Amino acid sequence: MVLETVPAEYYLVLSAAVFCIGLFGILTRRNALVFLMSVELLLNAANVNLVAFAFYWGNVTGQTFALFVIALAAAEVAVGIGIVLVVHRNFDDVDVTNATTLKW
Amino acid sequence: MLIEALVVSCLLGAAIVFFTPDRYAPKLAFGLSVPPLVLSLYAYVAFDGSGNALLGGEIAYETFAEWLQLGPYAVNYHVGLDGISLPLVVLSTVLTTLSILSAWTPIDDRQSEFYGLVLLLEGSLIGVFAALDFLLWFVFWEAVLIPMYLLIGVWGGPRRKYAAIKFFVYTNIASLVMFVGFFALIFGLGDAVSSTGMPAIAEALRAGQLGYLGTPTVGVPPDTLAIAAFLAMFVGFAVKVPVVPFHTWLPDAHVEAPTPASVLLAGVLLKMGTYALLRFNFTMLPEQAATLAVPIAAIAVISIIYGALLALAQQDLKRVVAYSSVSSMGYVILGLVAYTVYGVGGATFQMVAHGLISGLLFMTVGVFYNATHTRMIGDMSGLASKMPATATVFVAGAFGYMGLPLMAGFMAELFVFIGAFESTVLPAAPVFTAIAMFGIVIVAGYLLWAMQRSLFGPFELETDYELGRAPVHDIAPIVTLVVLIVALGVAPDLIFEMIRDATLDVVEFGFGGGS
Amino acid sequence: MALIYELTPAIVFLPLASFALALFFGRWMPKKGAVAGILATAGALGLSVVTLGWLLLSGEVHDQTWYTLVDAEMGVDLAFGILIDQLSAAMLVIVSLIAFLVHVFSLGYMNDEGEPGLPRYYAGLGLFTASMLAFVMADNLFMAFVFFELVGLCSYLLIGHWFTEDAPPSAAKKAFLVTRFGDYFFLVGVVGVLVTFGTAGFAGSEGFPALAESALAGETSVNTFGLSTEGWFSVLGLLVLGGVLGKSAQFPFHTWLPDAMEGPTPVSALIHAATMVAAGVYLVARMYGFYALLPTVLGIIAFVGGFTALFAATMAVVKNEIKQVLAYSTISQYGYMMLALGAGGYVAAFFHLTTHAIFKALLFLGAGSVIIAMHHEEDMWEMGGLKSEMRTTYLTFLAGSLALAGIFPFSGFWSKDEVLFETLVHALGGSPLLFGAYAMGITAVFLTGFYTIRMVMLTFHGDPRSETAEDPHSVGWNVKFPLSVLGVLAVVAGALNPVPIEMLTGAEVDFLHDYLYATPEALLTGAEHYSSLSSYGSGAIAGGEIGTMLVNAGLSFGLAVAGAGLAFGLYRGGSPARHTERLGRVQTLLMHNYYQDEYQVWLAEGFTVRLAAAADTFDQGVIDGTVNAVSSVSRSAGARIRQIQSGVVTNYAALVVLSLLALLVVFAILGGWF
Repeated sequence: MVLETVPAEYYLVLSAAVFCIGLFGILTRRNALVFLMSVELLLNAANVNLVAFAFYWGNVTGQTFALFVIALAAAEVAVGIGIVLVVHRNFDDVDVTNATTLKW
Repeated sequence: MLIEALVVSCLLGAAIVFFTPDRYAPKLAFGLSVPPLVLSLYAYVAFDGSGNALLGGEIAYETFAEWLQLGPYAVNYHVGLDGISLPLVVLSTVLTTLSILSAWTPIDDRQSEFYGLVLLLEGSLIGVFAALDFLLWFVFWEAVLIPMYLLIGVWGGPRRKYAAIKFFVYTNIASLVMFVGFFALIFGLGDAVSSTGMPAIAEALRAGQLGYLGTPTVGVPPDTLAIAAFLAMFVGFAVKVPVVPFHTWLPDAHVEAPTPASVLLAGVLLKMGTYALLRFNFTMLPEQAATLAVPIAAIAVISIIYGALLALAQQDLKRVVAYSSVSSMGYVILGLVAYTVYGVGGATFQMVAHGLISGLLFMTVGVFYNATHTRMIGDMSGLASKMPATATVFVAGAFGYMGLPLMAGFMAELFVFIGAFESTVLPAAPVFTAIAMFGIVIVAGYLLWAMQRSLFGPFELETDYELGRAPVHDIAPIVTLVVLIVALGVAPDLIFEMIRDATLDVVEFGFGGGS
Repeated sequence: MALIYELTPAIVFLPLASFALALFFGRWMPKKGAVAGILATAGALGLSVVTLGWLLLSGEVHDQTWYTLVDAEMGVDLAFGILIDQLSAAMLVIVSLIAFLVHVFSLGYMNDEGEPGLPRYYAGLGLFTASMLAFVMADNLFMAFVFFELVGLCSYLLIGHWFTEDAPPSAAKKAFLVTRFGDYFFLVGVVGVLVTFGTAGFAGSEGFPALAESALAGETSVNTFGLSTEGWFSVLGLLVLGGVLGKSAQFPFHTWLPDAMEGPTPVSALIHAATMVAAGVYLVARMYGFYALLPTVLGIIAFVGGFTALFAATMAVVKNEIKQVLAYSTISQYGYMMLALGAGGYVAAFFHLTTHAIFKALLFLGAGSVIIAMHHEEDMWEMGGLKSEMRTTYLTFLAGSLALAGIFPFSGFWSKDEVLFETLVHALGGSPLLFGAYAMGITAVFLTGFYTIRMVMLTFHGDPRSETAEDPHSVGWNVKFPLSVLGVLAVVAGALNPVPIEMLTGAEVDFLHDYLYATPEALLTGAEHYSSLSSYGSGAIAGGEIGTMLVNAGLSFGLAVAGAGLAFGLYRGGSPARHTERLGRVQTLLMHNYYQDEYQVWLAEGFTVRLAAAADTFDQGVIDGTVNAVSSVSRSAGARIRQIQSGVVTNYAALVVLSLLALLVVFAILGGWF
């Protein structure tokens, strides 16, 4: 099996890299859609970890959680896209920094 | 089951009135306030309790049920009445019914909400006086704030938002301080109590079972804990009473509140503070009360004299009555700190007497306001010639406030004075008493002066309409109150007997002073 | 128990019923409640007379608790009780008689003049009478205080009867406030007595005077709050005395009384002769068993009394309104009673109280009759020459005036003479301080003679000085009847106790003396008991008791005649001059009542109201300012901190990441990773 030859650290590095890309996206991008995609990257970075450790320990709990997260992510995307649509309708734009009228 | 019936009939009434069209709400609310009134009067007639509810007395109409478990502490549904709480329950129901009548004229929008809130308030008030478990009591204690906040904030005068928020925030912060203080005591008792029931805590505290809060090495020693908790609870309740210097929410709330809310605020809500002081501080921590007797008595005397002076300076008739409440509640504190039967009993009697008399004065000022649309003393003159019946009642109420003999206020003050004078707990008791008694001169001064300027003299009022006779539903409640005040003044033992019976155990504590 | 004592409470309840009837149904009742009032007071008078008669015949006294307000298992009971002994039985007759006559007179003064608010007026009179009667029969100090206060309330209501004018409500307020100030001390005293003795009863060995006596003798001990026994009792006595000085209008609490003339004249008669003002002096007499134990307090009472007698008399000299003269004369005469009580002349004091009640009621009702005739003009300089038009009024008023002036053989002479005699005898008996009080009292006799006759001369003699005085309004039977009854009594009442006659002839005619000495010993409220308590000795000049009596009587009669004669000489003739104006600055001082009102008004308005305003400023500024400052600090702090909430999600994410990093660093340092 190919997998057996890959050490756990590789997965962790991959996951950290994906997480950082996602974080970078959240911190720098204004476009709501890119924003949403960055959030997906964060979630999937976590998923990679969960699955990797589940395999590492031979325990399915991590995989179960990964499935949960995927389901949640799907729901989140649905709500997120809805919000993006509303933002676009109200501000004629999908720039998240414009939607500040509810502050205070 | 009687207390449950009382509370439920209030809450049910509130629910019904909420969903009634505004047109029918006033009369329906009046009708729905009668069952609690009748029930409470029945409770008074059939009262068979004796002793103090917290100190092993025979509790009347007691109900006990398990509610929930909070860590090591069982929280129970435990209610019941004794000679201290029953008069206050009756006071609440009587004043609610009368204030509903007095609301018919001034309240002309959102009636169903208004009367619903009043009935909700009544239910919560009864709960406060009947609850014998701390958490249950606290639920009712906080629940009272909500309807009163709305009554002031929605139907109040021009500065109603300021007044309502000030009232709510001030008293709520005070509740927090008190809550922390009381739970420190419960934790300090450790294994000595296994529930938040007030009787168990009171017995344990009086038996001196308070231990370290924490451990003996890193913890608060019992003496410090008791004093700190006493102070925290005292400050918490002092805001509600209110005692100088925590009184400034009161005039604002009264001036902005509509008349019926003022009546309930002054008549019953302030008594929650003194009732709680008696139930918690003075019943549970007598030693600490004795230690702090001098500063507490000093605060009481300052409240009396300073409150009366403030009332003298006011131009708004309602503010006069509001500040005079500060003065009158000072007598309650003085009676409590005396630790004599006459002192503590007189303080409780004063709660009822002041509830009736201040309610009467607020209602009467309201009747004048309905007719003249002003409360400023400078704007009125000679009202007595146009509104003789109302003026007569106002004069009667004012003299009641001044402590005219054969009216309830005089009896209450006399009891307090006798009790304070003979106190063995309070050093230099006669001196404190004598200074406090000077309040009766100042109160006569400002009320007589206010009456002279507003009621007497030639009639002068700039109105473009005729001052009509006040309607029957305005006059009936104030006349009823006068009758009650005179009845309690002529026959104080109607309630003073059961009050004495319930306070006897409170003052019997080693130093249990005098007679 | 005799049947009559079963009925005693009715003496109070009859006027009380007339109060309730007049208040609620007066509008529809005959004469607006006057008839009910007259019937009630007549009933009370009848019962009082029967009570007195029974007491005289059988000697049976009555002391019983009637109603218990607070029945304490431990501590003091508060109860109403009825004490009928010689003192209270006689006082009941005086009060109900005056009240009855005042009610009758009111028909003429109020009803016939078409005054408004009559039901209120008669309700007030009824409550006034009931309160005073209940006060008189009180068997304990607590009950006495209760009705003492109610008397004050009624005076407020009645003085302020014409409330649509400006002056009466102000005068009513002043009367209530000044007496309230005195009552404050009284209430402290009542509480002190209750706490000290555990009882407030007047009579018997269980009463507080008896307990005080045994405590002073060292037989029992009471809580004296760190003072010596006598010291503490003196404090209590002085505290109660505060109420007495207030109600009896003694210096320095006398200022309310002249203002109280704003009330209807029959009310003035009632207040001055038999109810409110008499209440103070009566209270001292009632608890004389306590005061007699305290020589210091007695000395103070005597001095205050003597001083007030003189002080008020000087002011009466210059007044121009008829009712003002009478008001100051009342203050002065009650000063005599206080002087007598303080000087150990218990019987003399009550004798003077009795005669004064009669002639002062007479003078006020007479003045009321004059005022009716003058269409409510009260200035004596607008009167004159009324004697030919108003025969009955003139004759009765003259009888009352001569009694007031102390002219032999009118009633006032006998009683005032006895007051001064007792003072002189006790002063000679080793209490030289009483000489001062005596000197003031005897000087006041001269002034009394002067101002009384001045008043009569200005009102009734000479030429009419105004149009109304030329053609006065006539008065009806309801005015003349009370005047006649009182006029006769004012002449003959001296026969109650003409001590000088007894001394000179040896005939047993000191009826009042014997009567007051007849109180059964068990009650400990009799004059005999009091004389045994008294620490005053007796002395004599000019060859024994008779000589002393003659010197004193001669002096007082001579001075009274001199004063009267001077006034007669000065104000004789058709149009007398305003002689008192020649006093110059003294006259100004007297017209301003020694600026007593000014300083008291300053105390109330200048000082207290300003203090209150300062307190209000402090309250709004400092206390409420602190509360508002707390809230505005939290609000402004919140306003700043909330700036963090920019609404930009990216910023929040950056904050989360930064905080996480910061936390990691902190944990790393604490965990020792570096």
